[in-house]
Amino acid sequence: MPMYGDLGNKLVQHAKRAQNLAQLPAYQTELVRAVTREVRDLDRDVASMLEPFQGSFDPAAEQATACTLLVNHLSMRRNKRCLLAYHRTRADKLEELVWSGSDVVDLAGQQQAGAAANSVPAAANDRQSSSLSPQEEDYVRQYGDLLAAYKGQWTDIDLTGSLDPPRDLFIDVRVLKDAGEIQTEYGAINLTKNSQFYVRQGDVERLIAQGYLQKLG
Amino acid sequence: MALPMPPGLTHAEVAFLAEMEMVTIVPRQRLESIDLLSGQTPPLRPPHRAQLPLWLALLLKKQRRANIVPPPWLHPASLSEIIHRETKENPQTFSPPPPPPAHANPHDPGHARRLADADADTILSPPFQPSCTASAPAGYLPYHWLEVAEALLAHAGDDMAAPAGEVRSLLRDLVEVRAAKMRSSTSVLGGAENGLMELTGVGAIELAESRGFVLGVVDGVRKIGASAEAARREDEEQGSGIHDDGGSDDDMGI
Amino acid sequence: MDIDDILREVDPTFHAIPQEKRDLQDLTRAWVAERCAPELLQWPANDLFERVNENIKRQIEKVEEMTGDMDPKTNFVLIVLQTELERFKYLVRSYLRARIAKIDRHTLHYLSTDDLRSRLSEMELAYATRHQALLHNHYLASFLSSFPPALQNLNDTAGNVTMIDAPDLDSAVFVRLLRDTAVEARDVDVDSSTGGQENAIYILRWSDAKPLVDAGSAELV
Repeated sequence: MPMYGDLGNKLVQHAKRAQNLAQLPAYQTELVRAVTREVRDLDRDVASMLEPFQGSFDPAAEQATACTLLVNHLSMRRNKRCLLAYHRTRADKLEELVWSGSDVVDLAGQQQAGAAANSVPAAANDRQSSSLSPQEEDYVRQYGDLLAAYKGQWTDIDLTGSLDPPRDLFIDVRVLKDAGEIQTEYGAINLTKNSQFYVRQGDVERLIAQGYLQKLG
Repeated sequence: MALPMPPGLTHAEVAFLAEMEMVTIVPRQRLESIDLLSGQTPPLRPPHRAQLPLWLALLLKKQRRANIVPPPWLHPASLSEIIHRETKENPQTFSPPPPPPAHANPHDPGHARRLADADADTILSPPFQPSCTASAPAGYLPYHWLEVAEALLAHAGDDMAAPAGEVRSLLRDLVEVRAAKMRSSTSVLGGAENGLMELTGVGAIELAESRGFVLGVVDGVRKIGASAEAARREDEEQGSGIHDDGGSDDDMGI
Repeated sequence: MDIDDILREVDPTFHAIPQEKRDLQDLTRAWVAERCAPELLQWPANDLFERVNENIKRQIEKVEEMTGDMDPKTNFVLIVLQTELERFKYLVRSYLRARIAKIDRHTLHYLSTDDLRSRLSEMELAYATRHQALLHNHYLASFLSSFPPALQNLNDTAGNVTMIDAPDLDSAVFVRLLRDTAVEARDVDVDSSTGGQENAIYILRWSDAKPLVDAGSAELV
């Protein structure tokens, strides 16, 4: 028979591993269930051990029982800590995805919409979503709403924008090949070969990557 | 996570701060005053000098609308003097930061008064003290000395008082001298006699680069000594401590 | 007439520094402090962020107006305005996110006493309360609800081990003195008290530095 606490350790190992992965690994439904069951079993043991004493248990007189009770109690608390750590680590990961604007919100949202529309369990055919428990999908959606509400108080700041200090907002570019007219925040610019412009970097990043423009200086 | 960074400013964040230092420019074109969030800029009228934040001065420089007057401390003679002081006069400590700017006190004629030391007012500190303008004192390194020097060398090398190469090589010497001091400071940190560890005169980049290590050492020493410290405090509280109360005024000096 | 006006009449140098410059100094100092302190600091009580946010909003409107009726390629003023705007937006964004990161990390701690709660802005308090509720509900839905009732709380302290994590207030920080002031510092072997000079930079435990920072005698660097 496995020692109490073994399963909890496994959960913590899963949590640690998840911390260092780019993608969230699959939710350990069975393991969570098993650790939770262990807690209930321990609790039942405690109750049945105490039952004969009818509320008059004296630890000094019943040292062996007292010791078992203490171990059971600590095991329950340990399991609870492991479960909390496991779920918190994953929730942190999910929140990180929400902050980075990842489509995990859309994903959960679409699934709900899809499920409501045609009652087909949409989660079944989506690999990425299957790594989340249904509770986690709920959580992501609700946290997304919460963040949107907080962000909404600071619309001009763009709270989920870059955390790197702004540099070179505007840059000099030379046009390497005709790219026609582009729309910028200031209006239209006609990009004819060999002309030079001072433009907002964000407006032309794609054109630079595509080789139409060259960044100068 | 809302902010995936450890405590303390990154290199890029320190450089961002340094761009708020005021510098002196000589405009090459007229430009009317601009209503910025940080206040109105002075109207630019060549050849009259004006003071602007570094980020704006660099923007003007890149567009060839102005030249930047390098701060006096960045002149080769000043840098050589500071290197001499850091190696010969005070080989253990950083040379002192610039003295705080002062102005005449209207309530006490003949006496200078610190700029903005009324309690009700905000006390300015770097990068908002004018320590990189043309009227800053020579011979003192301001808090953002390295970032400002790097920015000016990179974008206004032709405005330097001496060939940029000469300035650069002096700066390199200075960086090395001071980096050695920072390293040796950590050996003192561990077993400091006096609880106070001083780094006065250190620059922002120098702090940012050694923060993790230096503070890590200090925190490590504290954790290792936690039980000894707790025991000492208990002793002292009971009045039976033979320890001195530690009220020494000696600066540790690193 | 408020007290500031009276003071200005009596003393023409009162507030020798214009409001815009003071706000930028305060904003920058608050940002650096929040990025360096091991715990959440007090939300500024003087409406600093509300004012800065309002100014940013107005400036964005101004830029939008100017964009409409000016030649895009030559308008240097627009470039200057936008560059500065991005700098301000960045400062506020990084500051707010540094705070949210701390609140998220130790939510129960910051909600645990009135004193700690009062450090949060109204919006942050609403965010933290709701976030904590979401998390607790998530735990309940995932496993906690099938626990015995006595084990369903998140703030157990049985066995003298609290489940509420708190930041380490004795972490070391760098501070610069803004005025001459006495500095008290605790250390492992010996405690010390020194007359510190303006501009001096020290390494202190945050718990020793905090009173100086709160009094405006020192700032984190």
